[in-house]
Amino acid sequence: MKRITLLTLLIISVLIGRSQTNNLPPVDKSPMDMCYYPNNYPVLKIQDKITEPAVARVIYSRPQKNGRLIFGELVEYGKVWRLGANEATELEFFKAVKIGDKKVEKGRYTLYAIPMEDSWTFILNKDNDTWGAFKYDEQKDVLRTTVPVQKLNEGVEALAMTFEKSDSGCNLIIAWDNIKASLPISLK
Amino acid sequence: MTKLACTFLGAILFIGCTDTKEKNSDQTEKKPDSAIVHTPTNPYATIDISPMDMSYFPLNYSQRKMTHDITAQPVMRVIYSRPHRQGRTIFGNLLKYGERWRLGANEASEIEFFQNVTIQDKKVNAGRYVIYCIPYRDKWTIIFNNDLYTWGLKIDSTKDLMQFDIPIKKTSIDFEYFTMVFQPITNGAELVMAWDDTEGRLPINF
Repeated sequence: MKRITLLTLLIISVLIGRSQTNNLPPVDKSPMDMCYYPNNYPVLKIQDKITEPAVARVIYSRPQKNGRLIFGELVEYGKVWRLGANEATELEFFKAVKIGDKKVEKGRYTLYAIPMEDSWTFILNKDNDTWGAFKYDEQKDVLRTTVPVQKLNEGVEALAMTFEKSDSGCNLIIAWDNIKASLPISLK
Repeated sequence: MTKLACTFLGAILFIGCTDTKEKNSDQTEKKPDSAIVHTPTNPYATIDISPMDMSYFPLNYSQRKMTHDITAQPVMRVIYSRPHRQGRTIFGNLLKYGERWRLGANEASEIEFFQNVTIQDKKVNAGRYVIYCIPYRDKWTIIFNNDLYTWGLKIDSTKDLMQFDIPIKKTSIDFEYFTMVFQPITNGAELVMAWDDTEGRLPINF
């Protein structure tokens, strides 16, 4: 009995120890990150190396693989996924762009994806400042576009996003575990 | 045997308890970072040692929106990176008094108001601002700046828009990670900025 009490106390003390106290938030285990197109825009800016204006930025949280099978398992095929952790992923355009043949006005959007084994359907949605995909509202979709996925030889531990230049503008690259998908963004 | 187990657990419990008190939040806070350091390099984007974070007002806006606890637009949010102390003395040492501090790490910290607000009787228009600080021994000067999407080490002060002096105070616990969060007050909310043993609060009225 005494052991159980002690064990309970031990567990409680460990739990308390894990969080920053004073009711202020601890550091998240899926940390947030941000990237711009052009990549490293803020650094280029202070180095006076900017050659084109900022076009887009994405803010997302970075879950880790932690030995789990991700696609088809943790992230189920055919279901809307927040492309991250915690808050839904935010994609902002600083100027009007085109995705597929659809014009997208400048502004903030929420980006989701429906992963399948061979393809992902990206969803650009107008319901911002939201958590996960739990209250995803199809009525607020701006567009959907489906792209093939690419299998990677080397696994990616933490969900990663970056932009790369393309002929028509840029691609938002998203990689996790052994899968990579690109959202083509046209600036023409 | 039972006695031995109890003593052992007791010892761990003791360590656990001292751990939760002041100073040694290092022990517990460092864990995620050491895990991150040993992760194989991510070919697309490495995890930063000072992770980014975002706080809204109303607090936990996104979760509360999801549970339909809230339907109105958020009032404001702040996006910042969270350096950690790692045994260093922060104020007057790592951060020099009278010199500009980016209130974070990496990219300049960004505060966005989704509606007009009032700070120290000055109207602040809805919009996005870089926020930074000049710390002094006995006060902080908080500055809103228009040079958006920049790296925090080189903020163009010719684009400063407004500045506000706020008092600071010693905190009851030490903060391993720099922390920004909004806390409600009468007629608005305070932006709480805390690191090491010091915190400042910027009252925002709306």
